[in-house]
Amino acid sequence: MDARAEADADAGGTAVSAVLEVRDLHKAYAGVRAVDGVSFDVQAGSITGLIGPNGSGKSTTIDGISGFQPLDSGTVRLGGADITGMASHRIARAGLMRTFQTVRVYERLSLRENLMIAAQQFDAAGWIDELLRTKRYRGAIAAGEARARELTRMIGLMKYWEAPTGILSYGQKKLVALAAALMPKPRIVVLDEPVAGVNPTRIREVEEVLQTLNAAGETFLIVEHNVEFITTLCHHVIVLDQGRKLSEGSAEAIHADARVLEAYLGVAPELEEAEA
Amino acid sequence: MIVVAGAVLAGILPLVTESNYFIGIGVSACIFTVAAVALNLVYGFTGLLSFAQLGFWGIGGYATSLTVMTFGGNFWMGLVWAAVINAAVALAVGYPTLRTNRHAFVIVTLAFALLVTLIARDWVDLTRGPLGIPGLPAPSLFGFAFRTTASFYYIAWAFAVLAIGFLYALCSSRIGRTLIAIKQNEPLVRAQGISPMPYKLAAFAIGAAVTGMAGGIYAFHLKIIDPLFLDFYYMQAFLIMVIIGGAGSFWGVVAAGIVMSALPEVLRFSNELRMIIYGVILLVAMLAMPDGVAGWMRERKLMRMRAALR
Repeated sequence: MDARAEADADAGGTAVSAVLEVRDLHKAYAGVRAVDGVSFDVQAGSITGLIGPNGSGKSTTIDGISGFQPLDSGTVRLGGADITGMASHRIARAGLMRTFQTVRVYERLSLRENLMIAAQQFDAAGWIDELLRTKRYRGAIAAGEARARELTRMIGLMKYWEAPTGILSYGQKKLVALAAALMPKPRIVVLDEPVAGVNPTRIREVEEVLQTLNAAGETFLIVEHNVEFITTLCHHVIVLDQGRKLSEGSAEAIHADARVLEAYLGVAPELEEAEA
Repeated sequence: MIVVAGAVLAGILPLVTESNYFIGIGVSACIFTVAAVALNLVYGFTGLLSFAQLGFWGIGGYATSLTVMTFGGNFWMGLVWAAVINAAVALAVGYPTLRTNRHAFVIVTLAFALLVTLIARDWVDLTRGPLGIPGLPAPSLFGFAFRTTASFYYIAWAFAVLAIGFLYALCSSRIGRTLIAIKQNEPLVRAQGISPMPYKLAAFAIGAAVTGMAGGIYAFHLKIIDPLFLDFYYMQAFLIMVIIGGAGSFWGVVAAGIVMSALPEVLRFSNELRMIIYGVILLVAMLAMPDGVAGWMRERKLMRMRAALR
């Protein structure tokens, strides 16, 4: 598929409501083309899935988008503004928050503190306010805590509010990471395998949380191996293979394609292990 | 409450005892504790194992001494210079070094400390080399000279209260929490829109400035400065205080600073075995509590929490 031609075609029609526009990404490691001309859009208010087998370039793609990997070429636009090649913390400030495949939380800090840190760069309180504990600082803290409580209630972990996140289970930590990414009300949240390694009975909970948040207007881009999870949740699904976009379409269309998909994944998707 | 009571109690030490020996230990305890708390900011909170503290300690000592003895300033100006020079040096050293990984950082800071020692010994025109600069005069303020050990103690005590108060305000704020977050998971910090570099640099520079002032006061307590002021003993003492107290625990390190300053003296009842007993105590403490006293207490709290929640 000619990515560039498709990118041009896309730019004409749907660019207005696309919160994230990815065009013609390239990234090679020592000659291996990890990402080879990937283009796609994420519409505002959607849940978009990014799937594909191990080594298909999903992780490299989102690491490139979020500034955690330098890209060889291509452009990324967030809300119309070019964020290509910006440092990761600047991309986050621009409104793209992400989680990580191997769950990352501050294990020694409490759940409350984990969420508060995630929002602190986004309020108006500067370091002088912090040292002097000014009214502006106290206001920012109060607003942050209200948001943190709301999200903690939503993920059902209120009883761990003051507990260090190190004592939580793996699945619970994933929920904390999700809540942290949502703290500053970003334009888009990129989730890197939100249910990999999560107890199957709890996957339903994650689905419900994401649907509730999406109904409230939050936009998600989700990288996942669990095809069932993706097809029940996503409005739009992008399939990558060997660094290229294999196909793209509504969840229904991809689901109808599941036979083909399963064939090319090689194994039943549910049994697939998390990418190393 | 405990902290305020402790600070006030420490303040009246010269009224309780007239022994210059005990008050001298008090002076050391104040100054060493501040240096340990400054190292805790850099190592315990931010996760940067910095041997440069020894260099900053030395630069502070020499800057204060030279301000008084060579450049005709007074002690207080000397302390300001100690802080300013150290902060500037820390920014210059830290900016390139903090971009490397943590292991490289350790090596560079170690080299920096050795370099400062070399300068103290070999730049004879400035530092008088191994001869040192003896006869540092007693500081004076509004005509009052802090000549006795007891009066000098108040300088050390006031400095400790101010420095520890300032560092506590810093460490207990969001800035301190961000430093802990950087130590624990730097990519996550960046994913949350926070640039780690200014935080690391600020922690390094503030730690350097405070350590430099501590060094300046200590030099005037000793009344002489020579290259032995940069003996590795000091670095080792600060590091032991941080590790025993619990890296990253503010009051744990303050308590350890006071206890570990006094401990070698308490053990003087058996002069020959003193350092051996000291070593054994350190060893046992490290084996029983690898994360320091504060880490041990936190573990116990966590265990109770787990039991209560499961």
